[in-house]
Amino acid sequence: MSIAPERLQLPLPRPNVLELAPLYALLRREAPIAPVTTPAGDPAWLVTRFEEVRLLLGDKRFGRSHPNPDQAARISTAAVQDGPTGEYETEEADHARMRRLLTPAFSAKRMRMLSDHMGQLTEGYLDALVAEHETAGVVDLHHGLAFPLPVAMICRLLGVPEADRELFAALSERMAGTAIGEEAHQAREEFFRYMVGLIETKRPDLGEDVISDLVRAQGADSAFDYEQMVRLCVGLLFAGHETTVNRIGLGVLFLMTNREHWDRLVADPQGHVDAVVEEIMRLGAPGDLGLLRYAREDVDIAGVTIARGDALILSINAANRDVDVYSEAEAFDPDRPERTHLGFGHGAHFCIGASLARTELRVVFEALARRLPEMRLAKDVSELEVRETLTGGVSELPVTWRSA
Amino acid sequence: MKVTVDQEKCVGAGQCVLAADDVFDQRDEDGLVDLLNPSPSDDRGTDVRHAAAVCPAAAISVED
Repeated sequence: MSIAPERLQLPLPRPNVLELAPLYALLRREAPIAPVTTPAGDPAWLVTRFEEVRLLLGDKRFGRSHPNPDQAARISTAAVQDGPTGEYETEEADHARMRRLLTPAFSAKRMRMLSDHMGQLTEGYLDALVAEHETAGVVDLHHGLAFPLPVAMICRLLGVPEADRELFAALSERMAGTAIGEEAHQAREEFFRYMVGLIETKRPDLGEDVISDLVRAQGADSAFDYEQMVRLCVGLLFAGHETTVNRIGLGVLFLMTNREHWDRLVADPQGHVDAVVEEIMRLGAPGDLGLLRYAREDVDIAGVTIARGDALILSINAANRDVDVYSEAEAFDPDRPERTHLGFGHGAHFCIGASLARTELRVVFEALARRLPEMRLAKDVSELEVRETLTGGVSELPVTWRSA
Repeated sequence: MKVTVDQEKCVGAGQCVLAADDVFDQRDEDGLVDLLNPSPSDDRGTDVRHAAAVCPAAAISVED
């Protein structure tokens, strides 16, 4: 594929952390699968329309591996979703084995059983924030709730010491960094070494947790190599907290800037929380690229020919705001009639942590509405510090409920 | 209403359980779909159809 001069350069600059670049609407309408140049400078296809994004996510002709990884288009300088992963020949079997191993531990039923525990933790975090607010008048919901809750839950599920949280959170932040060049890859190496240390510390006394399960499975299956296992543990720890931390932050921002929907949630937290969570999952747009796939064969779709080996960036953010699918697509409206979205992806790679994330988000937003009905942002959205990482989100959530 | 599930297609996402836990469950051993009620009453139609619509593997079929 040659780079034509009119190729669009990613990322598309966005006005703020809640809105997307207006250009996405034009692309969806005029060029739902458009040739672009990735932040790393390579050619790729950007897919923006709901129909094609959903279709391609469920299409086995596209995967995460590449027939010639050295020739594959690179996406960014971050160390996550930056290029192909896995073995081209065995990708489907490897992925199926991984899902089989992990699915039971993240099942909807098990996550529901954890919701009381999440609730108790959340009440504790809120107690501390309320006490701090007495004297400070403004508190940071990011450090006091959005960060510690998902971290505590993923530590418990994976069997990672919570005392290491500052360490792996900092590694995750650097690994997803888009503005630090090679540093992101160094962070990935450090994360790998940290995980090897943790696994070997646990090995003599394996427990009832996901990392212990994976260590047992790796010992019993010659096709599952050690490095693959460590990478998987890193991936789970990275994705298992980073994503939900961001989503809680974005949810708070949507609700604080759409006061009528906050008031409605406050009036009936139990009754409204599910719809609010789904709308946060639809409209929240952390990061600004999308899910990465490589074509395993030539495919004709939506008027373009995608060649074997081409990179595709599937813009979940753009698909979830498709005006052909959603009425008032850009508006935050938990009461909307449309009940589905692509916030957790679709198809074989559907987010394994979806039930965990949903349960956490429901617990958090129900508790916030019940306990802090007067809460408001202590800073303007445009003044909030946005992280320069692949997963985006804010690094602070200053709020107050002191009478003005 | 008649519901069928395809365990070959199922990826264990658990979306159906969140949509209609009186009709769908996940098996303890592998997290794959377990159909609790293949003939739910018509008043469960909305949730059951929603479960089929959100299944990321299109593993659920609903016939009236």
